[in-house]
Amino acid sequence: MTTAQLDKMRLELRRGVLVLAVLAALRERHYGYSLRRHLQDAGIDIDEGTLYPLVRRLAEQGLLDSEWQQGEGRERRYYLLSELGAELLQQLTHEWTTLNNALGPLLQPEQTMSAKQAEEQG
Amino acid sequence: MELVKRYVAAVQRELPEQKRQEIGRELQANIMDQLDALAEQQGTALSEQQVADVLKKMGPPQHVARQFSPIQPLIPAHLMPLYKYTMYMVLGVLFVLQIVFMTSHWLTGSDFGPISFVLGIASGFIEDAIFGFTAITLGFALMPANTRSGQRKSANQWQPADLPPVGAGWQHISLSDVFTDLATYTFLLLIIWFPLWQQLFAGGEPVSSVFTQQSLQLLIWFSPFIVLGVLSSLWQLQRRLWSRPMLSLNLIVNLAFVIILVLLATLGPVLQLDTANWSGYFSPEAVQQAVKRGLLITSLIPGYEVIRDILRLRKLNK
Repeated sequence: MTTAQLDKMRLELRRGVLVLAVLAALRERHYGYSLRRHLQDAGIDIDEGTLYPLVRRLAEQGLLDSEWQQGEGRERRYYLLSELGAELLQQLTHEWTTLNNALGPLLQPEQTMSAKQAEEQG
Repeated sequence: MELVKRYVAAVQRELPEQKRQEIGRELQANIMDQLDALAEQQGTALSEQQVADVLKKMGPPQHVARQFSPIQPLIPAHLMPLYKYTMYMVLGVLFVLQIVFMTSHWLTGSDFGPISFVLGIASGFIEDAIFGFTAITLGFALMPANTRSGQRKSANQWQPADLPPVGAGWQHISLSDVFTDLATYTFLLLIIWFPLWQQLFAGGEPVSSVFTQQSLQLLIWFSPFIVLGVLSSLWQLQRRLWSRPMLSLNLIVNLAFVIILVLLATLGPVLQLDTANWSGYFSPEAVQQAVKRGLLITSLIPGYEVIRDILRLRKLNK
């Protein structure tokens, strides 16, 4: 598999998961940069050019509430999960858990084989 | 922070007007937060180069703007098959109409040679095709959103039981084949009947036919088979899948074409030629001979289709 193919598939795989991650992170109030840091600290690295437009799109869909506020000498737009967003997050979380539980056993042989290969190389 | 302002302005320029201010304001706030955090981390003010590096990492302004406001395709992806099908049908009909128009024009025009005829069809069709392409594309692009969802709903109303039988790959009838046949049949009908119609119904001056009296008489008797060919093409257009009755009808039409082409080639002269202009280059006999050979060679095409259809019928009977 080429790097381009891998990048494309990784992007596809991440696209839906990032929405879930952003919705989950915005159960707490965040502005753009603080949200990025929060996700980064949680191990999800997402570049600004993707995150900020994504947050805006979710807000436009009514999944996030937002307001401008002054903070540390600068105005910032704060986002928080809306009622509709909370409902959707609950449904998506259920979907994710089901999918993850189903995927686990399917991915297991691959993980076992990778571990074996690592052992053999080690 | 001049660079940041320039970057935000460049992003704003790529956005729709109603979103520019809001997105620009938020993007600037986010970038400034990031720069402040970076400055705090290193303990000193950022250099121009470091600011440029941060902006570079964000991506080109056009790309960022497209992320904020994605471009809507002119034709939505789910309508693309319908769009292509409509385009094909309309262009096919325009091609047939162009053949009809140019043939009638050719038959009434006195100084209209074969090359002008072909060029006329090509230029006329290109002109019509551009208009058709623009009209269809605009029609689909301006289609209201509720109609688009209606299309989706009707697409969900299909029934598996209505699907055609599996069939082999060759059973699929291509639209280009159907329209080429239709154009040929229309051209032939016009070239045979137009001079007679002019004379009988329009009350105009008798228009001389390109065929000799004997050939014209043969072609008039042959006309029902051409009409049968038109009906066969319309049937193919509707079904788009070869069946036994369709193959049989096509076989009859092609067989009739082989017979008439061979008859025309073997019986006397085929065309009434204005040999006065050509006498310096070709003798009338040489031209008639070339026409006859041309007809015999042309008869190989329907001949091939006759053999092909017999083999296909055998395959279907198995």
